[in-house]
Amino acid sequence: MGRVKKKGDSGNAKNYITRTQAVKKLQISLPDFRKLCIWKGIFPREPRNRKKANKSSTASTTFYYAKDVQYLLHEPLLGKFREQKTLEKKISRALGRGDVTDASRLERNAARPDKTGKPRYTLDNVIRERYPTFVDALRDLDDCLSMLFLFANLPSTSTVPAKMIARCERLCLEFQHYLIKSQSVRKSFLSIKGIYYQANIQGEDILWLVPYKFNQRVVGDVDFRIMGTFVEFYMTLLGFINFRLYTSIGLKYPPKFDQAKDDEAGELGAFKLEGNHTATVPSEPAQLTNGDSEAGPDPKTQAQVDKLIQQMKETDVDGQQNETEAEKEGPTDAIDKFEPAAPGGDVLPQPIYAGNEPESLFANCTFFLSRETPRQPLEFLLRSFGCKRVGWAAVLGEGAYTTNELDPSITHQVVDRPVVQAAMEEDGDAEDNQTSQKLAPNQRVPGRIYVQPQWVWDSINDEELKRPDQYAPGAQLPPHLSPFVQPIQGAYDPTIPLEEQEPEGEALQDSEEEVDEEDKDVEDADDSLAVRKLKALSDGMDVAPSDEEDEDEVDGDDFGGFSEDEKDANEDEDDEEQAAELQEQRELEAELSGKSIKQADANPRSKAKLEARKKLAKQAKEEEEEVERAKGMLSKKKRKLFEQMQYTNNKKSTEDQKLREKRRKLEKKTAKGKA
Amino acid sequence: MAPTKSSLKRKASIVEAAAAAAEDHAQSDDEFGDGLLEGLLEDDSDDESDADFDDDAEAGSGDSSAEDDDLESDDIPTDGEDLEKKLTNGFGNAEEDDGPNYRIETDANGGTRYIYDEIDPAVYDTDDSDAQEPVNTIGNIPLSFYDSYPHIGYDINGKKIMRPATGEALDALLESIEVPEGWTGLTDPETGKALNLSREQLELLKRVQMNELPEEDYDPYPDTVEWFTSMEETMPLSAAPEPKRRFLPSKHEAKRVMKLVKAIREGRILPYKPPEEREREREEEEEIHYDLWAEETPRPPNVMHIPAPKPAPPGYDESYNPPPEYLPTKAERQAWEDADPEEREKEYLPQSHGSLRRTPAYDRLIYERFSRSLDLYLAPRVRKMRLHIDPASLLPKLPRPEELRPFPSIASVEYLGHDGRVRSVSIDPSGQWLASGGDDGTVRVWGLTDGKQQWQVKLSSEDPVDVVRWRPGHEATILSAAVGEDIFFMIPSIENPEVEQASRDVLDAGFGYAANAKQQTTAAGARKDGPAKWSRPGGRLEDEGVLLKATVRSSIKTIHWHRRGDFFTTVSPSGQRSAVAIHTLSKHQTQIPFRKLPGIPQAAAFSPSKPLLFVALQRSIRVYDLQRQELVKTVQPGCRWISSFDIHPAGDNLVVGSYDRRLLWHDLEMSPKPYKTMRFHEQAIRSVKFHRSYPIWADSSDDGTIQIYHGKVVNDLMEAPQIVPLKTLSGHKVKQRLGVTDIDWHPKNPWIVSAGADGSIRLWT
Repeated sequence: MGRVKKKGDSGNAKNYITRTQAVKKLQISLPDFRKLCIWKGIFPREPRNRKKANKSSTASTTFYYAKDVQYLLHEPLLGKFREQKTLEKKISRALGRGDVTDASRLERNAARPDKTGKPRYTLDNVIRERYPTFVDALRDLDDCLSMLFLFANLPSTSTVPAKMIARCERLCLEFQHYLIKSQSVRKSFLSIKGIYYQANIQGEDILWLVPYKFNQRVVGDVDFRIMGTFVEFYMTLLGFINFRLYTSIGLKYPPKFDQAKDDEAGELGAFKLEGNHTATVPSEPAQLTNGDSEAGPDPKTQAQVDKLIQQMKETDVDGQQNETEAEKEGPTDAIDKFEPAAPGGDVLPQPIYAGNEPESLFANCTFFLSRETPRQPLEFLLRSFGCKRVGWAAVLGEGAYTTNELDPSITHQVVDRPVVQAAMEEDGDAEDNQTSQKLAPNQRVPGRIYVQPQWVWDSINDEELKRPDQYAPGAQLPPHLSPFVQPIQGAYDPTIPLEEQEPEGEALQDSEEEVDEEDKDVEDADDSLAVRKLKALSDGMDVAPSDEEDEDEVDGDDFGGFSEDEKDANEDEDDEEQAAELQEQRELEAELSGKSIKQADANPRSKAKLEARKKLAKQAKEEEEEVERAKGMLSKKKRKLFEQMQYTNNKKSTEDQKLREKRRKLEKKTAKGKA
Repeated sequence: MAPTKSSLKRKASIVEAAAAAAEDHAQSDDEFGDGLLEGLLEDDSDDESDADFDDDAEAGSGDSSAEDDDLESDDIPTDGEDLEKKLTNGFGNAEEDDGPNYRIETDANGGTRYIYDEIDPAVYDTDDSDAQEPVNTIGNIPLSFYDSYPHIGYDINGKKIMRPATGEALDALLESIEVPEGWTGLTDPETGKALNLSREQLELLKRVQMNELPEEDYDPYPDTVEWFTSMEETMPLSAAPEPKRRFLPSKHEAKRVMKLVKAIREGRILPYKPPEEREREREEEEEIHYDLWAEETPRPPNVMHIPAPKPAPPGYDESYNPPPEYLPTKAERQAWEDADPEEREKEYLPQSHGSLRRTPAYDRLIYERFSRSLDLYLAPRVRKMRLHIDPASLLPKLPRPEELRPFPSIASVEYLGHDGRVRSVSIDPSGQWLASGGDDGTVRVWGLTDGKQQWQVKLSSEDPVDVVRWRPGHEATILSAAVGEDIFFMIPSIENPEVEQASRDVLDAGFGYAANAKQQTTAAGARKDGPAKWSRPGGRLEDEGVLLKATVRSSIKTIHWHRRGDFFTTVSPSGQRSAVAIHTLSKHQTQIPFRKLPGIPQAAAFSPSKPLLFVALQRSIRVYDLQRQELVKTVQPGCRWISSFDIHPAGDNLVVGSYDRRLLWHDLEMSPKPYKTMRFHEQAIRSVKFHRSYPIWADSSDDGTIQIYHGKVVNDLMEAPQIVPLKTLSGHKVKQRLGVTDIDWHPKNPWIVSAGADGSIRLWT
């Protein structure tokens, strides 16, 4: 017989330790433990059995994986922390003795990353351990970039040293330079939070958020020490990633930095990229990925396939649009497109028209940015999509291709100011001191396209130059849509017309409302009592169709017992009766009001709709009963699961329904406005 | 010291002289009050007498010097005579010391009055050589307390020390007088007189102020006297020979030097640089980057590693210029603002800024990034399996109710007539008649299809009719009803006379048997009461068709007939030992099969096919073999309180209804635990019944509904029974929390009869 297994010797009880235990084991303070966890990427776990992991104690604690903590025991950083601790002790002792010189000497030796932005230790070994391959590091770059771009835009305070901010800014600009050079930015989105960018580096999609260039307000309880720990790690990480990226495209890292230009807000222009002469330019390094990352389809081809599918759908919907498109494309020497004639075949990625390549989207354009436009994001995006010449007003900083607004080579001007009405009468002598603007407010340079900034973003996301007339200064802009949303079957999509995506019931309801409105019109035309009554009746039908039906049923049940004849009367007959009654009443009312033709016209149509709606309601009710019946036969566990799933589905669908309803209302309003 | 002391003395006298002058001045001005003047005079006299007593010589010299001073200051505008007089006056006082110490004056009445001089304590204090000027005794308090008084304190005798003349009186004088030598303008707090300093004292102060040595002729840096020099003296101080260590290089020093050399070699000691330069160097040093992934080796994936989930990408509603349908309505905005920040579904409200220049900074950005970093290192991670399936696939595929027809769905006949609740209903074996019993104590028989009452008998005026059951079998129509402790057997006059006669025969057969049976006696010889008494019910009832009565010990709740129609079992839950009784109609005999039961019995029934008796206790159902007289099985439905049960016609399945709203299907072959538990009712279940021929069954509940189920039992051990809910029949009203009390199936058709607490009976077809 084997030995009896003791409780708490294996499994959950052994695999997880609480945070207090971990801190005790490592013999460090809690802040140091926090730092270690952040840098080493160690996170709490939810044990499969909390009770067992907690040794039957009911206190709520966080658990760490015991092996993670074991692994921390050998961390060289731990030694550094201890050294730091002893140094702090020495300083405090010297101060206690009143030995100021000694204390200051020790203080000079102490690493104070929170003050200087510079630690005395390096984190490169940590990065190497956390990310064994470069692709691993790229995969985790989202948070890193968002954090560093945020810190690059923060004002310096006692908790956020100016040096840290400067370093963040520099790293971010270097990274942007790489993106421009390698042209790997794919998408961008103007959100209320800031600007999202998506880049594709070595097959990895990286999405990050850059705040708008404003002073950031600190709202709520924010501990900058924790953020600082993250930033410290991220700075080192981005430094090494930048190095790797720069060397991969044959550039020297770090690039030459011109302090003078940077002082004049040169931003991207303050860096000068140099070729790496010493090392031969390595071809794109063979990608090494971890075993767990399945080799997904190339995002580019994926995007193309998506696009093709979209187009296919469109062609399915109406062939006309396709024709017009074909006509448009007619004169250009386009590559023939292979449109699938029948569904079912595989979709092959096709060669794309050379001019449509995202890298050279703005290659032939020369841009000029007016002073009210955000220069940094526009410059970055335009340059990363192939634009070589971007000029801007001199107030926006150093590094412009031209600061002369009247430069004849400018093809596009990005303007974001309203059209001024009164300024036309002013004479042009009124000089703007700030910008030395040479043009009168509404004056336009001929032969140049004026667009609002959104044009750039929409063009990038659609990979084609959008029609500039929609984006003209002062024009009502089309909605700016997120390029990151993947269309889901059945979910609401604002790009598709409403009729194609609303379910039958809603469409019917919609038409009902229309009828109502017609009724309302009628009412407006002649304000007779009868018509209003009628309207009220039909309204009542709208509001509670199911209720009424229920009542019918109940009535049938109640009276069923009394007479043999009535008990066979089923609901359909009831309905018919009701309809007949309605019809009768209508006729009567029409007679009263002295007009019968119009009502007669409206009647058959509305009747058909009424029937359709009734049928639908009945069907829905039957389905519901069926589900209820079947649900009763499920076990408790499965029923709970089912109810949960239905809850989430319902929530989503009600959200979509709300959106559709709103849109319907808006469309109707605009239609009315036009009429 | 001598010169300083004398000078001090002189100064004091100068002040006195000045004071005297001032006094004179004041006298001439007549502005001062009398008291003040008097005080001044007294003060003067004291002063002088003291001085005289101490050392006359000095006083003399002091006086003379004062005189000198006065003489020196020629341009004092006071008269010399005045001074002279004063002085002589002082001397006069001194002379008076030798004469009698009183004066004789005339008082107001003209009598003589001796006025004695004041006693001068100094005269008697001769042994106190240190006694000096009158010392102020006010102690260590600020002099400012006396600002409003003419005096500045009290001397040792309690005499007022008058304030020396100051202020306006002196101003005029001071203006005219040259500032005397050593004048400081300070007041000596001890005396209240001006504090004067001598030239030497001033000199001393000046030196101290200038940070010089206080003594003029002190040399702080005298030349060193080199006692021990490199010069070899002809006569050395020590005669010892030079030690050897003076000639050897120091080992200790060599050690220290080697330490430094080592540190320099190791780079621990660097040449000095100014701190700024060093800082800059350090910065540059840290910018060193290299290819960290030069030789990258992929690591096999670790099962325990859970990568942090990426935040969801922004949707349409996060756009700075979203489609208008995404913008919140006023109500939505209000709801969002009113909600607690932690309960909001989204942390932002969609907004349309119209153009990019109007887009402001997002004020929660830092906070969101912060909470993301908190999530990264603080949130426990767990792998969650998410089911991406259609919820409909979880539902079992049930046959449609239409396919399982026939079953009752509509109330077709309503039987009205009972006062109060109807407690029990039963359809006779032929399916023509419906018997019912209720709270009004009547048993009524109705035509099933026409709904008309055919026969009625009032069995009791107090007790309700609890159960009504027809005896099975077509040869006779006998109706049994339980009222309290009595069971009545009646033959309703509805059938043809032959059947009625046959029924009468069945009922009467037992009387002969009962007469023949010998009476049971106890050991004492007394007649022992049987468990039940069988008798004729009496005149009125017999006329109405009630022919037999059996009385047991406690009130009966259920009656269940054996399929052959000879035996029936009754249950009276309050009957303790005789709760369950089995009666034989043909012998008018009653047996108590169980001496003891492990609970209160609720219902009992014979198995439809086997010689088994099912007895439902509160929580379990026990199955007894009647032939072998033993417990066969115990079924545990797992409910709290069983209300009723019914056995499937095949005999292998059991359905149990309970007061705790549960409906349980038991497969007796399978397990003592329920096969299916159904909870479709909101209130207690009152009764359950299987149809005798169709695969349907029903239950009734206090929520006023009857539910019809399809329950198909296949005669195959491998296949479980199929249960499908079919229909909910609602129509009975709930009265006093009671709904449908009893149901019964039609023996042939799929019809069901229900008895309601609202006093109505319904037939559902």
